[in-house]
Amino acid sequence: MRSLKSIVLALAALGAAVLAPAAEVNLFGWSEYIPQEVLDGFTRETGIKVNFETYASNEELLSKLVAAGGSYDLIQPSEYAAELLIRRGLLAPLDRAKLTNLKNIGAEFRRLPHDPADRFTVPYMTGTVGIVVNTEKVAGPIRGYRDVFQTKFKDRLVVLNDNREIVTWALYSAGLPVNDINPAALAKVRPEIARWVRLVKVFDSDSPKTALLNGDVDIGIVWSGEAALLWNENRKFKYVLPAEGAHRFIDILAIPAGAAHQAGAHALINYILRPEVSKIVSDKFPYTNPNLAARQLLSPAQLANPASYPAAPGRLETFRDIGKAAADIDRLMTDLKSAQ
Amino acid sequence: MSAIGIPSASAARDRRQPGWRAWALLAPMVLWLALFVIIPGLILIVYSFCERDEVGGVIFAFNADNYRRVFEPVYLRIFARSIGYAGLTTAICVVLGYPVACYIARAGEQLRNRLLLLVMVPFWTSFLIRTYAWMTILKQEGLLNGLLQAAGAGFGPLNLLYTPTAVVIGLVYAYLPFMILPVYGSAEKLDNSLIEAAHDLGAGPVRAFSAVIVPLTLPGIAAGTLLVFVPAIGMFAITDLMGGARVPMIGNVIQNQFLQARDWPFGAALGVVFMLMFALTYALLQRRHASPA
Amino acid sequence: MDWFLRGWTALVFLFLYGPVLVLVACSFNASRLNVVWEGFTLDWYQKLLANAPLLRAAKNSLLIATATAILSVLLGTAGAWLLHRYRYRCSQLIRTIVAIPMVMPEILMGISLLILFATIGLKLGFTTVIIGHVTFSFPFVLIAVQVRLHGLDPALEEAALDLGATPLRAFWLVIVPCLKPAIIAGALMAFTLSMDELIVTFFTRSASAETLPVQVYGMARVGLNPMLNALSTLFILATVAFVLFSEYLRKLSR
Repeated sequence: MRSLKSIVLALAALGAAVLAPAAEVNLFGWSEYIPQEVLDGFTRETGIKVNFETYASNEELLSKLVAAGGSYDLIQPSEYAAELLIRRGLLAPLDRAKLTNLKNIGAEFRRLPHDPADRFTVPYMTGTVGIVVNTEKVAGPIRGYRDVFQTKFKDRLVVLNDNREIVTWALYSAGLPVNDINPAALAKVRPEIARWVRLVKVFDSDSPKTALLNGDVDIGIVWSGEAALLWNENRKFKYVLPAEGAHRFIDILAIPAGAAHQAGAHALINYILRPEVSKIVSDKFPYTNPNLAARQLLSPAQLANPASYPAAPGRLETFRDIGKAAADIDRLMTDLKSAQ
Repeated sequence: MSAIGIPSASAARDRRQPGWRAWALLAPMVLWLALFVIIPGLILIVYSFCERDEVGGVIFAFNADNYRRVFEPVYLRIFARSIGYAGLTTAICVVLGYPVACYIARAGEQLRNRLLLLVMVPFWTSFLIRTYAWMTILKQEGLLNGLLQAAGAGFGPLNLLYTPTAVVIGLVYAYLPFMILPVYGSAEKLDNSLIEAAHDLGAGPVRAFSAVIVPLTLPGIAAGTLLVFVPAIGMFAITDLMGGARVPMIGNVIQNQFLQARDWPFGAALGVVFMLMFALTYALLQRRHASPA
Repeated sequence: MDWFLRGWTALVFLFLYGPVLVLVACSFNASRLNVVWEGFTLDWYQKLLANAPLLRAAKNSLLIATATAILSVLLGTAGAWLLHRYRYRCSQLIRTIVAIPMVMPEILMGISLLILFATIGLKLGFTTVIIGHVTFSFPFVLIAVQVRLHGLDPALEEAALDLGATPLRAFWLVIVPCLKPAIIAGALMAFTLSMDELIVTFFTRSASAETLPVQVYGMARVGLNPMLNALSTLFILATVAFVLFSEYLRKLSR
């Protein structure tokens, strides 16, 4: 009797192995942002195959998800894009019971405005937008946006080529809220931005470090990841978080509504949240790791990088989706840039 | 141009009437154009009459607001600037490329193909890497300034990178082959005997050039102009990287509607106007060109 | 006249190859960020050969560019010839539509093609990327060939037809050899356009059809490194080797 049962069980297991579709997860993420090493480790351990498809902008993600109805199990939007997806009902609620490693994420990175109850998103990596100063060329103290945009620095500045960022800095220095963008606020900061635009030599979002490294400019307002690379290259590049306040961006892991392999996607999220796995990501990208357990595994040099782990962060805010105001910002910036 | 030297003109006309076979042969191209140019174009036209909703999607509202916005002075000025840069680029490409095309056309068959390939090979490297190489040359502490200094130039380092000059250098570099190749295509059939004949008839090199060579290669220059000028209007990657993205081009504005403003309908409207303007100009030029025949 | 043309050509080639020389030199630079010269190294070549995704992307790009060039030449040459040879009822219109992809902003072409492919249920991959590339490349071939046809002696084809050749044979035996320079020029342009295209590819690719420009764009996020210069150098070397080899073969066969 017993042997018959074991034969049946063995056959059933064999049948399941043959008939069940091979376990897999379709990951749609930023190009290069998740190290291949991490995905290989996950497959080795669980037998779940990861198909990694990449995109290069939030808009590419949105259009492939919305317009083309792509079938993905795990995506990696930025915080404001995630908020948009939540509002459109395009994300699936997470099963917290399956994410045992969620406890590793620091409290300051949880329950943020884009997902107040942490129902849909898990932070992957985060960073800030701040000021880089070439201390060999610039003597005086630079503490905030006002110190950067001085007439004496005309043609010595590089800033992100991102309209919302630039408007946000102006709102900060005018003491206005950065996530409530209305025509009155834009009208108020317009003259200031007009002055700034004339001072800037280079607008570059993709690689603002190039102009600084080449010595074509001395001060930049850039992603903290770029600043961290600059600091690794040469200690003369100092990172400062603006006193008036700064944007903290969060890259997120989330599962699209209707994903076919939700169990696998949860397993992959939980795997990435492990300290030793999250450390691999930190080794490759000098961003701020929200995973506090992983931070304890980092080298002193990594933790000492002021761009990745600023000493006194001050006021940091994430972006909310601003709806139609994005078009107003674009119009304002186009107007001011082409008026030169 | 198409004066046909055979007895019966009506026979020639008949010969140019397409039979079913000629239509069948043309069908693949027509089908391709219909599927991948006209249908996407129609999709864009539909989008351009829509409205942007709160979450960045589109609502089928069918109003012409977006078109009204396209004709605001800001956007017209950006159009004009883009056309200006493209025009200057084309002119420089003609001046630089024409003699090269003539030289290649007159070389022996072997050398000719080798030179043609050599014109194109630099562009089989990655765009970003190529552009960064230009930055290495043009930056303040770059190669060009270093060379000038070494040569004992009496002036300080030239400020080239992130200026309009750098933009034009970048554009000319990117589009030069697209001028050289079509001009070569038309210059290659130039008979050496034709030039010799001009010489024999007492024409000096300059006269032989302006009276014989240039008119015969005019279609090549026209095609090169088309292949350089038209894509250059919409180009913005080079303007951004070499010019520092300080002044927007029409390509930036369209791209931003999709990547930053999330205003697809307005982006589509800009694109539709851009394409219609071009199509009308092109059709008019063609008609004028065809009518004297 | 001749010395002027030769000198001018040499100068223009200096302009074309100046940045290429810099790029090749940088591939041997020990500095990762390539700002200053830090010493000679072959490290980047070693790292390149170990970077499977980058090599696969390079292979995909070559494949896609070759397919694009072949299809573009077929569509473009046939189209140019037919529009030249016959008077279709809407020749004018067709000619105008052919030129539209050249002026269509890449992002608009990318997004509208993506919507189209999604609607008709065509899965993204090599096919869709090649369709996108052929659409903006074949007008270049068509226009280059059109120029060549302009002023082609019609008597040539007449003669062939009088000698009993079918129109197709006449086209193949008489017209195509005349068009050869333009076809070569067109194929080179199509190949080059495809090798360098980024934005249409973004919207029409899938994970399996990653191209080199897309891969490079992704790398820019972490900082470009001389591995890419090494790859570009190898491409150029391979082309030069190919040219020399074909030369050698030609000499052998003689």
